[in-house]
Amino acid sequence: MAQTTVQQGTRDQASAQTSNEPSARRPWLLAAERLRHSASGLDWLADRRAAALARVEHSGLPDTSQEDWRYTSLSGFTQRWADHLVATGPPSVPTGTDSPVPMSATWVTASMFTVDVVDGTLCAPLVGTPPGLTIRSLQQLTPEWQDRVEGLLGPTDGQADSSPPDSLVDLNTALLGDVLLIATDPGSCVNLPIHVRLQGTAAPALGQPRLLVDVGPGSQLTLSLEFTGSAGALVNAVTQVCLGRDSQLNLIRVQALPDDGMLTETTRIEVAESASVTVTSVDLGSQLSRQALTVLLAGTGASATVHGLFLADGHRHIDNRTRLEHQAPLTTSRETFRGIADDHGHGVFNGKIIVQPGAAGSNAALTNRNLLLTTTAEIDTKPELEIYVDDVRCSHGATTGQLDANALFYLRSRGLDPAAARQMLTAAFLRESLNGIAVPELRTRLEARLQARLQAGPGGEA
Amino acid sequence: MNALLQVSGLRVAVGDKEILTGLDLSVRAGEVHAIMGPNGSGKSTLAHVLSGRDGYVVTGGSVSYLGRDLLAMAPEERARAGLFLGFQYPIEIPGVSNIYLLRSALNARRAARGESEIDAASFLRLVKEKARLMQMDESFLQRGVNEGFSGGEKKRNEVFQMAVLEPTLAILDETDSGLDIDALKVVSSGVNSLRNPERAFILVTHYQRLLDYIRPDFVHVLAGGRIIRTGDRTLALELEAGGYDQVLAAASQ
Repeated sequence: MAQTTVQQGTRDQASAQTSNEPSARRPWLLAAERLRHSASGLDWLADRRAAALARVEHSGLPDTSQEDWRYTSLSGFTQRWADHLVATGPPSVPTGTDSPVPMSATWVTASMFTVDVVDGTLCAPLVGTPPGLTIRSLQQLTPEWQDRVEGLLGPTDGQADSSPPDSLVDLNTALLGDVLLIATDPGSCVNLPIHVRLQGTAAPALGQPRLLVDVGPGSQLTLSLEFTGSAGALVNAVTQVCLGRDSQLNLIRVQALPDDGMLTETTRIEVAESASVTVTSVDLGSQLSRQALTVLLAGTGASATVHGLFLADGHRHIDNRTRLEHQAPLTTSRETFRGIADDHGHGVFNGKIIVQPGAAGSNAALTNRNLLLTTTAEIDTKPELEIYVDDVRCSHGATTGQLDANALFYLRSRGLDPAAARQMLTAAFLRESLNGIAVPELRTRLEARLQARLQAGPGGEA
Repeated sequence: MNALLQVSGLRVAVGDKEILTGLDLSVRAGEVHAIMGPNGSGKSTLAHVLSGRDGYVVTGGSVSYLGRDLLAMAPEERARAGLFLGFQYPIEIPGVSNIYLLRSALNARRAARGESEIDAASFLRLVKEKARLMQMDESFLQRGVNEGFSGGEKKRNEVFQMAVLEPTLAILDETDSGLDIDALKVVSSGVNSLRNPERAFILVTHYQRLLDYIRPDFVHVLAGGRIIRTGDRTLALELEAGGYDQVLAAASQ
């Protein structure tokens, strides 16, 4: 990062600066300054924010010189944030007192409990929360829940687990305006899928949702997170999930931002003994989306299943990075990731499996299959295995190819025209990844959306 | 009566190699033709070229189907005009259910004839009736096309698709290969039930066995890229008794 020339006093001058000057490269300074002036009433967060801000100042945001960021540049992201900040002026952080109207009605149905979060802030009040479930924002924390939130956020001075420091997590913490806590009581089985709609607008310059999910021992939860928003939405989301012993979580994450939306997303899931998590990740929208998903199999017999799916058409840039870390004996992971790149789209997948010395008897399998529909599209894929113990079974593989000519001919020989045949095969390729979604209604709707998108092309029904 | 299909002097090459070397064949409505021949004689090439598969270059001759130039039609146009190819190696297509494919295929044909889409109830009735005919469990309908099917199930599924699509001309490419005797009976009775005065069949086969169950009107022996002998059902029995060598030797004299 080239920011050594920044001078003292930048914060005071920031609002007057043009995008060529230092604050354009370090918009967090101005954003933090504005946050200090807003009346959040959350003083206990001040130290944590300040420490995180100092780390961001030190490290800067990732750039393409780092191996993990080789294919994805955040320069447009940072530039837009700086431009938004200058254009909107203070205050830039929502106070939680407004209840913005949800922007797009998507999947609100009787068979799901829907929670709306706009620019990181819960649209209160919630009525009829299912039994066994607690949902809180920072404004509604009792001291007991505050301890819980602090525990989930981790130590003030940095990372709780073995993961390397992450400047996007620090950025989220440095500018923490609100937190959404979702917790299940031990032993409870939440009887409705919980659907959280995370809507981003251009209003706060950068939306920074922070989700903390605490799945109590022996409990069961189905949670879907949907990223949507209005034009120009810019979001840096962080989700931390903790699964207690013997618990089960079915997590569905759908990224359906508008065509010019940008998202960076960091998700960490820690799985305790005999607990299991299933993650289904779907990327349908955005101009730029970068997801880093880490699953730590921390307890004996913990297991994780990850199904991923992305559609990088138009000029989308979709980057998914997964890291499944086996830390305890007899842990299991299964990952299948599928991607399609069309038009001028660019898909990136990096899947890493790490088996630590303590994880004897573990079993891991990763497959990545990609489909390139045009010669102008690009997919970069890299599955990686790091194994530090004997007595494990691991496999991985990645393929990138075109639609099968034999299958295309088969469909044409039955009377389908080439476009319909291609679309049918493309949809079929994607649909297989949706099989892991345990909410039939959600799966059906996602299938319909994929179908519509493949018919309409980019910019059509998303 | 005009021929449904008229193949005249057809010459086809793959790369530098000429596979069909001047093939003549005339098929009229209501007829069943068996095309037999040793491996490499060009049987499957003929089936592929008639269905419009890529990779073949027609270097001479013509094919007329229902009075149209078949070779100028795209594969899907041929299908919509009532031509059906039963594949020797049916393709597995995970993620596309049998019933979805059939409905799309049927509606594509209807649209080509200027008809409206079939309604859901009629379609379901039709496929269930045909599934019964082929002794297929209804659960097969919802499964991915040929996904995880055994060899016999795949062939049965081809004939099931044919039964639903009700073609004018069906070309079955080695539909009998890889079938046990029970599956062969089911497939044969499926084909026999579809025989009618408006419909014609071309059975491409290596073995006479299939013809015990489906009685052809004509048997053709294909060798060296053209039909060297044509006869009735007894020709197949002759082939069975004496092998191809004897027939080839006789033909070359």
